[in-house]
Amino acid sequence: MTSARDWLRTDRLPHIYCTGCGNGTVINCTLAAISGMGWERDETVFVSGIGCSSRAPGYIQTDSLHTTHGRALAFATGVKLAKPDLNVVVFTGDGDLAAIGGNHFIHACRRNVDMTVVCMNNQIYGMTGGQGSPTTPMGAQSTTTPYGSAEAAFDLAELAVAAGANYVARWTAYHVKELTKAIATGLQTPGLSFIEVMTQCPTNYGRRNKQRRVSDMIEHMRTHALLIEKKRRLESEGTPIPEGMFTVGELVRRARPAMGVRR
Amino acid sequence: MKLVIDESRCKGCNLCVLVCPYTIFQEGTKPNRRGIVVPVLDRPERCTNCRLQALYGRTLCGVCQMICPDQAIHWKEEEPYEAHRVEVEY
Repeated sequence: MTSARDWLRTDRLPHIYCTGCGNGTVINCTLAAISGMGWERDETVFVSGIGCSSRAPGYIQTDSLHTTHGRALAFATGVKLAKPDLNVVVFTGDGDLAAIGGNHFIHACRRNVDMTVVCMNNQIYGMTGGQGSPTTPMGAQSTTTPYGSAEAAFDLAELAVAAGANYVARWTAYHVKELTKAIATGLQTPGLSFIEVMTQCPTNYGRRNKQRRVSDMIEHMRTHALLIEKKRRLESEGTPIPEGMFTVGELVRRARPAMGVRR
Repeated sequence: MKLVIDESRCKGCNLCVLVCPYTIFQEGTKPNRRGIVVPVLDRPERCTNCRLQALYGRTLCGVCQMICPDQAIHWKEEEPYEAHRVEVEY
């Protein structure tokens, strides 16, 4: 049994993420879940696209693929089908997965390729200077939406459920224990497991949306996260759900036929 | 076990201050050599993980370590307590 610290590439630390960025927390949780699986380093591959979140495999001591923008899932599908014995984990961001790689995402879910996708959703294009992404909430400010975003945001977890992923969960970078458990379940589930993590981006999202401090962003995530069970209960009772809430929890767990699993 | 903040990694985001149930982490006041205000530890021996990690054989709370985005918080083995000869002067 290895500990999460053994998987880190300590010579590359401290990493390039800004002060208070949630991506480092997601790396911690993923490594904690992976070290609980008892996998070997040689049998694990991390694949990522382009963006802040996609720099994560560079800090992990395994083989990794840093691929073109949005194509992480396409590369990961290739890795899994060529060598089904490898364990494939994909780190991706919201701009990477939802905007440019949207089509790869729905088709990877449809094919149900056996891998785990961890999406760090910071609701903005953080690395390029705070442009609005498909997941920027309605009314939020960014450099490309100076009067507030006029479009509705993408719900990635619901999209994955509709497209046919085997395990879908959403947590935030504040819920570390639940997130670790969700990632561990995702790693054990055959077929595509999609875990969306809402992370804070104080530099580019919070600064423009009156959440300049990290604690403000964390407090916002804590108070606006609504458990899926509670949401279903409220809906069955007919109680209106408060504005601006997002659901967290395990959205679906099922056993559709998976691709890339050795029989 | 002993709670340690790695000053070469910490970027001073104070997330640990927010999550510690015992408020062991307190916001620092003085910037260090790199100009980063690292949180200070207030009586770290109160941490449950320091005391009971070896007894239970697993990490007990560990939320600060998990949430630290810079991987700066860890527990260090302490040297066993050595008895010192004390001269008592009358």
